[in-house]
Amino acid sequence: MKFGRTMLMELRNSWRGYLIFTLVVVLILAGMVEIFPSVSEAWEHELDGEENIDIVTVVEGDLAEIKLTWVECPGADNYTVMVGNSPYMIVPLDRIEGIEGRGYTYHAPLEEGTLPELYFSVLAVVDGEREFVGTEGTMERLNPLEETLGLNYGDIRGFLSVIWGMWFVLLIGLYIALAAVNSISKDFEEGRMDILLSQPVSRRQYMLEKISVVALVTMVLLVISGAVSVASVKAVGELETISASAILLTTVLSWPLFLVIITFSVLMAVLLGNSRKALGITFLFVLVQYGIHLVGDMAEALEYVKPFSIIYYWNHESLLYGEAVAWGEIMFLLVLAMVFVVLSLYIFERRDVPA
Amino acid sequence: MKEPVMDIRGLTKYYGDVVGIEGLDLKVYPGEIMGFLGPNGAGKTTTIRVCLDLLQKSEGEVKIFGLDSHEDSLEIRRRTGYLPGDFGMYNDLRVKTILKYLLSQNGISDTKKMEELAHRFELDLNRKYGELSKGNRQKAGIVQAFMADQDLIILDEPTSGLDPLMQKKFYEFLREERDKGKTVFMSSHILAEVEEVCDRVAIIRSGHLQVVEDIHSLKEKMGKKLVVEFENRVDTGMFEMEGVNDISIQGRMVTMIVTSNLDEVIKTVSRQNIINISLETFSLEHLFLTYYSRGGSE
Repeated sequence: MKFGRTMLMELRNSWRGYLIFTLVVVLILAGMVEIFPSVSEAWEHELDGEENIDIVTVVEGDLAEIKLTWVECPGADNYTVMVGNSPYMIVPLDRIEGIEGRGYTYHAPLEEGTLPELYFSVLAVVDGEREFVGTEGTMERLNPLEETLGLNYGDIRGFLSVIWGMWFVLLIGLYIALAAVNSISKDFEEGRMDILLSQPVSRRQYMLEKISVVALVTMVLLVISGAVSVASVKAVGELETISASAILLTTVLSWPLFLVIITFSVLMAVLLGNSRKALGITFLFVLVQYGIHLVGDMAEALEYVKPFSIIYYWNHESLLYGEAVAWGEIMFLLVLAMVFVVLSLYIFERRDVPA
Repeated sequence: MKEPVMDIRGLTKYYGDVVGIEGLDLKVYPGEIMGFLGPNGAGKTTTIRVCLDLLQKSEGEVKIFGLDSHEDSLEIRRRTGYLPGDFGMYNDLRVKTILKYLLSQNGISDTKKMEELAHRFELDLNRKYGELSKGNRQKAGIVQAFMADQDLIILDEPTSGLDPLMQKKFYEFLREERDKGKTVFMSSHILAEVEEVCDRVAIIRSGHLQVVEDIHSLKEKMGKKLVVEFENRVDTGMFEMEGVNDISIQGRMVTMIVTSNLDEVIKTVSRQNIINISLETFSLEHLFLTYYSRGGSE
């Protein structure tokens, strides 16, 4: 019996949902890349009033001599300098008051031979009131994502990595789980299964066609997402930083990851025969994978958990930064998907079709 | 003797500890309409779904066209049309699209028979399935069961939701199909329907087969109800003979069930002066109720 009729029927039945979701993804992707220049710019001038302060650091022996100069504040009687580990000065390390003139030299011991990361806020005292002049740090400041995940949000590669690693994988993962579960469970629940399986089509073919249609739609979605990302990156003038092929490769090579989610969803659908239960477990699966991936990214000490998440094997950060494709990891995902397919077939061919 | 199209032997299906059907033996022969009668929950749908390999049997054997219902299910389904009790389909798609898809699954691209059946049963193929009434959905189910022109048609409660006029049309169509050589196995709980259209009937109760019989023979076996009003009172002893049961007297009115020996009974009755006489054939309903009231002892 020819392969593809059930796929076509599934597409005819569900194309609206797929189309709407694709449009949502396209709009979000294009919109997010569109805001990249302002995010990048905001990142570069993140410290408030840093343009009002200059820092020159000279290292002498075990000490760093940090020379601060700042612009004059009209009417200032004197100045106060606050020193802290963060630019917010919630708990300052030091506070020097009554500074005459527009400069101050602060001495700090080196930490294991390197310059300590310190921030200085300068306040002017005008008629007994303090006025903020600015804040500057000894080092170029990383944003929280860069500090925790090692990603530079101000760089288009880091930006895309965050977009894809943080929400793209979650959004598409949850949607295709829903689509895959419904493609089987709805046939049970809407009373179609008896008719569909009483045709001269094997249960194996039926299931493989159902998996194929969701896998195919996902591939199309990924190609569209990649193309939209390339166009958006080009539109913001960042295509010199990252190649179009790296962007396309990163999106398209997420397909094995989503294939694992699709096949797991189908396994749950045939095992439970109930869309609510199957969706609950499948969503939990996706969220747990996502959670493990995030936790593993939080700190070096937690990196050992990352291989327990299937997202780890996608390796999108490396792909975006132009590293070679890790075919072994892709193969692992494909093998895992095959295991889920074999299990689904084994169960589906032996189970009763609920009336 | 023709080889049976359906040959069910010792078929048993358990749902956990619950008996669906147990030790069911049944044969359906080519060119007949076999009615499968029983109340809700008796095991009719379970039997049908095991035959179509939608349910795994617990024990027993089902051969259809001489093929094993599980091992050769693809070949069986190629030659069998089926209307399930609840015919669900894609609500957002047109009936024509759905039926063409089901036809194509049988390797058929010619839609002529589908269109003829739709016309006959007054089904609008261009409407979306979700917009159809219960009756029209049932018509769509009937069309899909017969459109591939298969040798065996299995129908689970086929007239559910059809109006009486459409039911008549359907019975007529069934007889035509039977005359063309098709075999039909249909479950029903509507006695009049089975009586009108079926050649043989199998009665199932609580998962156990009670009787399989030609409808006319079955009715013969059940006997006839003879009611005679005599001019004078008579003695019931005169009717005590072979084939006469359940004799009762109310004044000059005598009622009895005659299962055989009718000629002798009539001769005996005619020796007396008769005011009125009636001989009634039992309906299938009476027969059905009799089997149920006997608690399956037959």
